[in-house]
Amino acid sequence: MSTPSNPAAPALAVHDLTRTYGTGDATIAALGGIDLAFRRGTFTAVMGPSGSGKSTLLACAAGLDRPTSGRIAIGGEDVTDWDEERRTRLRRERIGFVFQAFHLMPYLSVTQNVGLPARLAGKRPDRARVRDLIARVGLADRAHHLPGSLSGGQQQRVAIARALVCQPDVVLADEPTGALDSATARQILDLLRSSVTDPQGPSQTVVMVTHDPVAASYADEVVFLVDGRVAGRMTHPTADAVAGQMAHLDDLVVAR
Amino acid sequence: MNATSSLAWRSLRHRPLAATATFVAVLLGAALIGSFATLVESASGARGTDADTLVIMGAVVGGWGAVIVLFSVASTVGITATQRAAEIGLVRTIGATPRQARKLIVRETAVVAGTAAVAGAATALGAGRLLFDLLQSGGLITSRTQYGGGPVSVAAGAALVLLASSIASAVAARKATRGPAGVLVQSSAAEQSRMAWWRVAIALLLIGYGIAMAVITIAVTAHDADPYAAMSTSGSSSILVGVGLAVLAPVLLRWCATPIGRLVGPFGASGHLASYNTARRAHLLAGVLAPVIVLTSAAVGTLMLVNIDARSLPAGTPDSDTINLLNNVVVGMISLFAAIMVVNAFVATIAHRRAELHRLHLLGATARQVRGSVVGEAAIVAAVGVLLGTLASLATVVPFTVARDEGVVPDGGLWLVPAVVAGVVAVTLGAARGAARSAGNPMVSGAVR
Repeated sequence: MSTPSNPAAPALAVHDLTRTYGTGDATIAALGGIDLAFRRGTFTAVMGPSGSGKSTLLACAAGLDRPTSGRIAIGGEDVTDWDEERRTRLRRERIGFVFQAFHLMPYLSVTQNVGLPARLAGKRPDRARVRDLIARVGLADRAHHLPGSLSGGQQQRVAIARALVCQPDVVLADEPTGALDSATARQILDLLRSSVTDPQGPSQTVVMVTHDPVAASYADEVVFLVDGRVAGRMTHPTADAVAGQMAHLDDLVVAR
Repeated sequence: MNATSSLAWRSLRHRPLAATATFVAVLLGAALIGSFATLVESASGARGTDADTLVIMGAVVGGWGAVIVLFSVASTVGITATQRAAEIGLVRTIGATPRQARKLIVRETAVVAGTAAVAGAATALGAGRLLFDLLQSGGLITSRTQYGGGPVSVAAGAALVLLASSIASAVAARKATRGPAGVLVQSSAAEQSRMAWWRVAIALLLIGYGIAMAVITIAVTAHDADPYAAMSTSGSSSILVGVGLAVLAPVLLRWCATPIGRLVGPFGASGHLASYNTARRAHLLAGVLAPVIVLTSAAVGTLMLVNIDARSLPAGTPDSDTINLLNNVVVGMISLFAAIMVVNAFVATIAHRRAELHRLHLLGATARQVRGSVVGEAAIVAAVGVLLGTLASLATVVPFTVARDEGVVPDGGLWLVPAVVAGVVAVTLGAARGAARSAGNPMVSGAVR
């Protein structure tokens, strides 16, 4: 149901993105000029210490926050100057969200939560697609339960199904495993991974912000942010290599 | 000042708005009860019919007002305290004992209610004299009788309201500290806990008493030589049954919201959200439903009563004038309080759900859709409320029309029902719109979480 967009363009691209808060002496640069392009069908982890600008990057990409300067393109379309109304439509039709705190509506059943983005877009959810997605995340037998009766891992799986329902250009995941135990976290990461590599479904693009080297090792590539700038990248990451790099982020900054 | 008190004081200074609802309810409550109490005090210095009029006006009308006022004060205090479950959880996590946490809620309420009660008592001194002058200039009291209201009656009124608010805050505090300590409040909403047995008992008692009075009206007082005997037995039935149903509001909303929600359901995403929220989280919106029921039942019941009375008796007798005035004062007072409660309850529930509404926004709901879902919920609550309230008003209307030989359906004044219903619906939807708007533009926070 997403608007057709240029299939050759990156799913998400930011160009010279800056975001500063405050004025005068109190100015804080959360993002200090970032250039990144996330190709379709890739799984990228964005890592960095607290305050490195990870969450600001995600908020700008999702149209929740306006950048101070720079451009943002989703599916090849420049969305930087869109008004609130269009950015809201962008969020529900072309971006899928997975949050640390799940953010399910507590009074809607699993099926209704997954169908919610379609409802908000003023459409009837595609029943077959909703059912398929719920089965794909392994909750077919819980389709009519309320979130309150599900475990944290199950709730996050519902959130992933919800993020995928509109076949978004890009899925933005903000610490999706931050509130889960390690075994459950692995299931969630496998699920995100399979949404990218699944030969059956249309392959998704996932951008995941995380602190956790193990989570990052599920990605195709890791981007390191330090002080609002890209400090390095790593392809085919392993947990050990990521953890090692995280321990020496200062060196990356110097190298730059 | 010990630790708890100073924490209570700081918390209040930090959030003056949260205390406003309690303050307003207690202030108006103390002012109303206090000013009617001055009439009773004045009666001790009066003789003959003057003394009777003053006692009836003060004790009967004031008494009924007091029931509504105390109910509204108690529910406002309860809502305000329950809202803070997360904060209480935090205080307990860092080492406050349940006892200290309870004290925090109780003292905070005491500070606010105490200040409001003093202000209310001062208002009552002036308002009581005004009420007395009104009765005297209306010819209901002779000029021989002097106003005798003083600090005693006004203080008694304030004390009554304070007592109600402290009991309510103690109950709410106990509820907030019952479970284990923890910062995370269950946002799960399927926590439709069973209703406490004493609540059901109180509700059944009130409804049963109201219906019994209705039956007595038809069976006994309808045949009395005094035309006002029937009024004295049936007049309060609608309020009794209405308050009884209001006590059962969470259960009734759960039952009624599903069929009524179906009507709202087709209205886009907002209707969809509203219908499921009211049905599955009836306990949240029950605080709004309760005053809507009472407002409708009291207004329809009493206004119809006055209407039937004016039609079926030769008008212009001094008796009927007094009684009509009394009845109208009751309706006015109850409506004022119920309307304040509807607004209070909406502000409280919306403030409580701010995070949840923000979540909708993150998922791509427009500000209009978010507001629409809140107004949709209000529409369902209003529909259920006016339905139940009108039902409760029958406990007064039917026996009184029978007593005045108009059959089961009154001969006239039926337009009052849609008029009251329209008013109540307007107040409910208006409160919801205002609350949803004051919940603020969720865009202010740029955080993704």
